[in-house]
Amino acid sequence: MAKAKNKKAGTVMVVGGGIAGVQTALDLTDLGYYVYLVEKSAAVGGVMAQLDKTFPTNDCSL
Amino acid sequence: MSKEEYNPRILGFLCNWCCYAAADSAGVSRYQYPPNLRTIRVMCTGRVDPSFVIRGFVEGAAGIFTGG
Amino acid sequence: MVEAGRSPNIEIITNAELKSLKGSPGKFSAKININPRYINADDCTACGLCTTYCPRHLVDEYNENLSLTRPIHIDYAQAVPATYYIDPKECLHLQHDTCQICVPVCQSKAIDFSQAPQDRELNVGAVVLSPGFGRIEDETMAKYSYGIHPDVVTSFEFERLSNPSGPFKGEVLCLSDQRHPKSIAFIQCVGSRDLNCDNGYCSSVCCMYAIKEAMVAKEHDPEVDITVYYMDIRTQGKDFDAAKTRAEGMGIKFVRSRVADVMPWENQLRLTYSTMEGEHKFVPHDMVVLSVGLDSPASAKDLAEVSKIDLNTYDFCKTSSFKPLATSRKGVFVAGAFQGPKDIPESVTQSSGAAGEIAGLLKKDRGKGVVVKKYPKEIVVSPEDEIRIGVFVCHCGINISSVVDVNKVSEYSGTMDGVSYYAESLYSCSQDAQKVLKEKIKEHNLNRVVIAACSPRTHEPLFQETLKDAGLNRSLFEMVNIRDQCSWVHANEPDQATDKSMDLVRMAVAKAKLIQPLPEQTVPVTAKAMVIGGGVAGMTAALNLSDQGFGCYLIEKGPQLGGNLNKVNTTLFGEDTSKFLKDITAKVKKDKNIEVITNAELTQTNGFVGNFSSIVTTTKGKKSEELTVDHGVMIVATGGKEHKPEEVLGNKIKYSDNIVTQLELEEKLAGKGKSRAPKSTVMIQCAGSRGDDLKYCSKNCCNHAIKNALKIKSIDNKSQVVVLYRDIRTYGFAEDAYREAREKGVIFVPYKMDEKPAIKSKGKKTEVTYFDPILQEEMTLTPDLVALSVGVVPEDTDHLSKLLKIPVTADNFFLEAHVKLRPVELPVDGVFVCGLAHSPKPIDEVIVQAQAAAGKAAIPLVKGYVSVDPIVSNINKEECIGCSLCANLCPYQAIQMLKVDGKRKAETITASCKACGICASHCPTFAISMGGFTNEQITSQISAFGKVEEVEEV
Repeated sequence: MAKAKNKKAGTVMVVGGGIAGVQTALDLTDLGYYVYLVEKSAAVGGVMAQLDKTFPTNDCSL
Repeated sequence: MSKEEYNPRILGFLCNWCCYAAADSAGVSRYQYPPNLRTIRVMCTGRVDPSFVIRGFVEGAAGIFTGG
Repeated sequence: MVEAGRSPNIEIITNAELKSLKGSPGKFSAKININPRYINADDCTACGLCTTYCPRHLVDEYNENLSLTRPIHIDYAQAVPATYYIDPKECLHLQHDTCQICVPVCQSKAIDFSQAPQDRELNVGAVVLSPGFGRIEDETMAKYSYGIHPDVVTSFEFERLSNPSGPFKGEVLCLSDQRHPKSIAFIQCVGSRDLNCDNGYCSSVCCMYAIKEAMVAKEHDPEVDITVYYMDIRTQGKDFDAAKTRAEGMGIKFVRSRVADVMPWENQLRLTYSTMEGEHKFVPHDMVVLSVGLDSPASAKDLAEVSKIDLNTYDFCKTSSFKPLATSRKGVFVAGAFQGPKDIPESVTQSSGAAGEIAGLLKKDRGKGVVVKKYPKEIVVSPEDEIRIGVFVCHCGINISSVVDVNKVSEYSGTMDGVSYYAESLYSCSQDAQKVLKEKIKEHNLNRVVIAACSPRTHEPLFQETLKDAGLNRSLFEMVNIRDQCSWVHANEPDQATDKSMDLVRMAVAKAKLIQPLPEQTVPVTAKAMVIGGGVAGMTAALNLSDQGFGCYLIEKGPQLGGNLNKVNTTLFGEDTSKFLKDITAKVKKDKNIEVITNAELTQTNGFVGNFSSIVTTTKGKKSEELTVDHGVMIVATGGKEHKPEEVLGNKIKYSDNIVTQLELEEKLAGKGKSRAPKSTVMIQCAGSRGDDLKYCSKNCCNHAIKNALKIKSIDNKSQVVVLYRDIRTYGFAEDAYREAREKGVIFVPYKMDEKPAIKSKGKKTEVTYFDPILQEEMTLTPDLVALSVGVVPEDTDHLSKLLKIPVTADNFFLEAHVKLRPVELPVDGVFVCGLAHSPKPIDEVIVQAQAAAGKAAIPLVKGYVSVDPIVSNINKEECIGCSLCANLCPYQAIQMLKVDGKRKAETITASCKACGICASHCPTFAISMGGFTNEQITSQISAFGKVEEVEEV
């Protein structure tokens, strides 16, 4: 993993990479901030990645 | 499949926002339908010029489907 | 998720844990500990060969332990990062220093057992905690034979069982003997609303997911018998009651009961329950699904300790109703289920809200940390150039290749004119495949790309991004949908599905030949916002935008700010709303970035995201004035109001001093003196809601009734309060207040819609008659006061809906762009929604939604420009005869008529154009061309459609 030099200003740490963490990270980058997304497991996605469909639209959840 | 069986070729124009999306979710839900449809995605069925329909028939379509 | 993996401004650090957090807002220093993956992410191609050679088994946690995997594996094919990893628990090398079979197997030499845990220090300005939720302990589920009988499963396990990528490929089977269950029971509130496992709260989501799972099971097998055992059905979310009605229509049974236990019985399970009437019953079922609640995350205590934040009594993050996303430590925010059990849209909303709050806090550092993605210079592709198309056909694992003969389709594409390169790919969406795509474009000088895979609706942006990376204009791309619209829907006709795929690829290649690069267009943005509605939602949104440094017009139709909050004194949790309102109103008035315009209404809006121009009409007495304002975005926070139905449950209602709404009762109870509390009160829930007059649940009324009941009891604990209800919906931590009310002697009696309470006026008194299911007899009370828990209706949405062309639901609330994933965006770009105009909800959710709307609305303002999709209409002025047919037909007012050299000509306002093509199909002189959907391109697709026989003869 390419390790960027640790930045100082304008960065945010998000702890937890489920749907809430991923969405926070995406919105923060859109608002002009760099994000470290710290996840304890081997992949982001959390429980959402286990769901097939979500109500009420039955969309594929990925 | 036997040659006698009616096996029409249908050309479909699907609106990106509704019918194309619906066709996607039919897939996600694994609904099964006959494989006779060939589709062209448009951003809205408003794009479908009457000449497209006529041309479709000329090219051998047994039916034209517009979904929007 | 793929988007997060691709963003140059997100560094994903997996297998990592927070160890300490020092400092303050703007200058935190965090220590994290990273455990090794033992596989080099840069080298791993996710080919999966290692997994096939690994000799050990490991239970697959991703599949809820229902299947086996290997210690070296990936959870699922689309995982981000798309890198395999080794779980050290079962790895022979890491445990016993043997094996290492995988090392030589890996072609790209990605496996590295020398990796060791490492520490890293991150300097950050703010922190968001979003660790999610934890699982209910097995111990709590033991009385239902969980862990004893395999056919008792949790709802999470059931989710995997019914999932096509699950252990039985989506077939719902009993785990004991793999038979199809004929009867399934769902038991609600397992690990929720239960002090025995210290979870006194309601998990909020289980009723809805149980209904979803029950409906999915019914779709798999319409004959299956399904019973849901519940205490209260809590489908309080937007349009959720309608889903419950659909479930009932499908034959799913709902039984109000308490389940005592589940025991193995012959080859089935015996469920014992007691009913409301006190009867005990036994029923056999083939499968029992436990609707388990959401626990606080297992790491909550550690996380709270290292990040120095407070937890509530249930070990969730402690927050307040007025600052729902702020933890007890400044600069540390919370989002998602760690703040309290919640569904996906509420989590997503909190995420956007937290992002908005942080953007305000760190305003002065905005942009300092970001990496701006640079693309190589675009390769010039001109119409005269040789056409060199690359065709890539995707297997999508086995999603496509188990039905369609991918190799045949790929070989066939190679026979087509113009195709210079063709290949198959296992997952064309993987990060690794993007690398290959880029290389092949360079290697073969490809100037058009056709990908046959899934839907362009989900994946076109990803591939177009790769094209840009390779120096190609993103329009030089065409996608063929051979998964969603082919392999998935023709699973039993592999030959015909292959034929269809070949036809579709041929049509796409025909179109691709005619594709020309389209120029990217950007339009500058007016960095100001307009917020419509001066209630708590509008004020919160305006303040957040101001914190982020953006000016804002706050339009209020009445004479004063505050909306419904003017009539409320406290929250259910006892927080002082009057003080909060006073503070926030003062802050808004003092804020130099916010221009408050009262007695005002939006009367006209033109333009598009980034460049709106609106007319606001203010009325003072008989004088009205028009004000033109320019703004880049708009937030709709027009709110809602109490709905006072004339008829409640079939009874004509004459509101008086003795028959009031909960809001009126709250006013009565304010102030001092014991006499203000009525001696006896009957509260009637769902008065005019849930099919009575309004179709939906208003989400607030149960909380409101309990708040007032507790207030009465606190004034005079001898006062009698009876609450007649259908389902008490005190979801989340509000359940504590419900319990407290019961403990304090408030009497709760359920009623059914076929035994509705009767309300009769007898002189000055009111008589309420209802059926008591415990006593099994009719009761008549003559209380001092009847309080009706009436619902919430939106303020007029019709006017704005027409003005802004934004849709409303059947219940007249504004309809968001996507109910799960884009909950505060409206379908018109640059227009956002929050508060009661979206749906009824309590104050903390209103505030979060307002913060989220502001966070989302600020995105185009921060960017400073909006990009326009280049597929817009383009009018050839030479051929235009100025008939203005197109301008009249355009549903988006995106065509204007101009005078050019004295002649009338049409011109597209590109930023307003939605690319529908109505103009092009109606133009009598064919002067209008649609980028990406030209007449020639579509015609060529139609011709290619007809070319089938010729080709097959070849």
